[in-house]
Amino acid sequence: MAYRNAMDALGDPTRRAIFERLREGAVSVGEIADELPVSRPAVSQHLRVLKEAGLVRERRDGTRRLYRVDPDALGELRDYFDDFWTQALASFKAEAERERRNE
Amino acid sequence: MSTQAQDLTVRKSVVVDCSPEHAFETFTSRIYTWWPFETHSPADERPEDAIFEPGVGGRVYDRMASGEEHEWATVLEWEPPRRFVIDWHVTPGNPSTELEVRFLPEGGATRVELEHRGWERYGDDARDTFASYDSGWETVLRPFVEAALKSS
Repeated sequence: MAYRNAMDALGDPTRRAIFERLREGAVSVGEIADELPVSRPAVSQHLRVLKEAGLVRERRDGTRRLYRVDPDALGELRDYFDDFWTQALASFKAEAERERRNE
Repeated sequence: MSTQAQDLTVRKSVVVDCSPEHAFETFTSRIYTWWPFETHSPADERPEDAIFEPGVGGRVYDRMASGEEHEWATVLEWEPPRRFVIDWHVTPGNPSTELEVRFLPEGGATRVELEHRGWERYGDDARDTFASYDSGWETVLRPFVEAALKSS
């Protein structure tokens, strides 16, 4: 499930910090490494995890690769809650009707 | 306010074979009996109890075996057995999402309509609270929502 992956990906404080930085606009690995106490290889690795979780997108700008937050992440969030409430209301219905039968 | 093209509101409806009174009470005072803690709890371990205090200003929270409590929400509107509105704290002290649940008589049963809204509130502030996040799904949700809204 995409949202579960997103939660796992953001469970790491460094990845959250990188993700936070990307909110301000598209940046390169080098720019992130310059601003945060993280090496370039480590930044690349974190970006890969964020990308696989559907949170971050990559594009080429000449020879540079730029990273930014994936706007579709918003849709995934909504879908997560849609699924969540379907599950929760099914559970609620079962409980309400079970109790009633026992009355 | 952030401008938002996408409608984020989640709307759900389910018909429950019982009275509005019973449905309302099950949803609120007996929330512990049905809430899916396995997939949706602020803490890693299952809480010992979940408490939904009735009335405007009532707190919704869970309590761990250790006695530690996690705030979920505060009651904004309370009209038993017809509807209630709570603001659901994603993290304490910060903007909340809003959950409205209505209980409508339908034949001899009850239609429960649910609306979960207000995600757009997360577009604006909060960078300064970022460092205070600890573990748990809620703490992850907030920056995720913020980022997603900022980027849209």
